[in-house]
Amino acid sequence: MELALLFLSLSAAMFGIGLYGLISKRNMLRMLLSAEVNFNAAMLALLTLASSSSSPATGGVIALLAIGIAAADIGIMVSIAILMFQLKRRLDVYELRKFRG
Amino acid sequence: MSALDLAIDPSFIAFLAIAVMAILSSLLVVEHKSLVYSAFFLGVLGMANAALFALLGFTFIALFHVAVYIGAAVTFILFSITMFEEAPSIERPFRVVAGFTVLLTFLFLAVIFGIYLGKPLQPSYVDYRELARLLTQNYWFALIVAALTLVTTLIEAITLARREVK
Repeated sequence: MELALLFLSLSAAMFGIGLYGLISKRNMLRMLLSAEVNFNAAMLALLTLASSSSSPATGGVIALLAIGIAAADIGIMVSIAILMFQLKRRLDVYELRKFRG
Repeated sequence: MSALDLAIDPSFIAFLAIAVMAILSSLLVVEHKSLVYSAFFLGVLGMANAALFALLGFTFIALFHVAVYIGAAVTFILFSITMFEEAPSIERPFRVVAGFTVLLTFLFLAVIFGIYLGKPLQPSYVDYRELARLLTQNYWFALIVAALTLVTTLIEAITLARREVK
């Protein structure tokens, strides 16, 4: 297969869509889902670049660790969302300012 | 390889089909009115991404992505979302700013990735012994940190979710 640029363009397009959702939404879970689209785009770029490199296994190791850490961060974010919903009955990120201190 | 050869290359056709699926599901994750369907389409996006990893030659990473990311993380989001009431979506008045930021980011990435223009992409064969050797010998510290992070996260998530609300 030719043209690594196709994979990288797809990754850039997905990253753009995720970034749009992250900036334009205020719902915490919607922002989390948009950030996950960004994560998927970053993983695709990482493995495409690893595939073009002389040592693809190193990219594979980084990808394995990244997927594990991503699962962990989803757990934390959803738990915070559950707590916020219990306290405020809303998921508006503007309400997070009142959580200070 | 000519454009005609590329058009009849089965892996290129597979790439096009999966790319369309990935873009559509990304759009639906961000723009679908229902959060439940958004989470479902995140799972579809994960599957499309795993197929792309397999096309690149990283079949083990693709399987890991399906098992850990879709099987655990996305399913966790999907079931958690059912605990929330469907609230009307609130949008920031930043649509134009967001669109402009996306355009700038895309141009920035196009400049960075432009060096790969016309560069051949060989699906790489990743030796699993080599992967395991790297993970346990070269990156053992990162592996331990990742394992500890997962354990800590598990405890933290349970603590946060079970916290008594006054």
